[in-house]
Amino acid sequence: MTTARGWRIPAEFGKALAALSAAAKQHLDPLLAELVMIRASQLNHCAFCLDMHLELALKKGESQDRLDLLAAWEEAGDRFTVQERAALALTEAVTVLTDGFVPDAVYAEAAREFTETELAHLIAAITTINSWNRLMVARRTSPGETAWHS
Amino acid sequence: MNKHSMTTNEHSHYVPEHTPRLQWAEHAPDVYKAMIKMEIAAKSGVDPVTYELVKIRASQINHCAFCLDMHTKDALAAGESVERIVQLSAWEESQHFYTEKELAAIELTEAVTLLTDGFVPDEVYAKAAKQFTEPELAHLIAAITVINAWNRFGVTTRMVPGHYTPGVHK
Repeated sequence: MTTARGWRIPAEFGKALAALSAAAKQHLDPLLAELVMIRASQLNHCAFCLDMHLELALKKGESQDRLDLLAAWEEAGDRFTVQERAALALTEAVTVLTDGFVPDAVYAEAAREFTETELAHLIAAITTINSWNRLMVARRTSPGETAWHS
Repeated sequence: MNKHSMTTNEHSHYVPEHTPRLQWAEHAPDVYKAMIKMEIAAKSGVDPVTYELVKIRASQINHCAFCLDMHTKDALAAGESVERIVQLSAWEESQHFYTEKELAAIELTEAVTLLTDGFVPDEVYAKAAKQFTEPELAHLIAAITVINAWNRFGVTTRMVPGHYTPGVHK
């Protein structure tokens, strides 16, 4: 059982991050957005975020089978489309910056599958979930907890 | 030909500058606006000297050249010492350059930036919680989060370092 740490997300910051979340979704397929949220949350070990986005994905019509395979999408054959695979590869590269940059091949594949406007928003979505991951992991927010904002 | 402050004669052997991959802020203006709001909200509750140290350390870990250009220049313009900036990437062995409070913030910055290595250790969190009040800590974590977000845009779209004029984004 984890105990949440006491601080809460500052109101103004939470509002701005909610605005970022909304803006990022503007040009993104809702199911693809959930795959991105879940994959980043897996990499960043955010239990709160996984709980929330797995539930949202299922609600939006995602299949349990694809969610089960998401952590191994590269080896999951044709369960994920070429466009989804490009988005997931980009999600991993943008989430794990500490291993060194975003490779040209990964970026080029994403640029082939998405328009520049879509791509800017996809990068924003990856950045947004990375932000939520940081906040929720830093305060050890429990899955389902609601008292994280001030 | 680049426009670095160093003269091109002196450094004519340098490789050419790369070009950015995408003008993300132009393609996603609402995203950019929200990022600025996050920046302002985080900054409002953190000591300005600590703020730049946090920005620089996260940008080092995430390898964001553009962000390093901006934040080292802003830090220097605000009176930060070259020594403290240079020593920052080895702060564990140069602790006497920093206050205990700064060290707690830097250590927390590393933990919150490196989530893929596993969580934010209780010990690191406890040190920060001892040095900062809860609202200060909340803003500090917000600041670490927002520089991580800028780093992601900067690295992914290959924003080009070298052209930042200090104070522009203060």
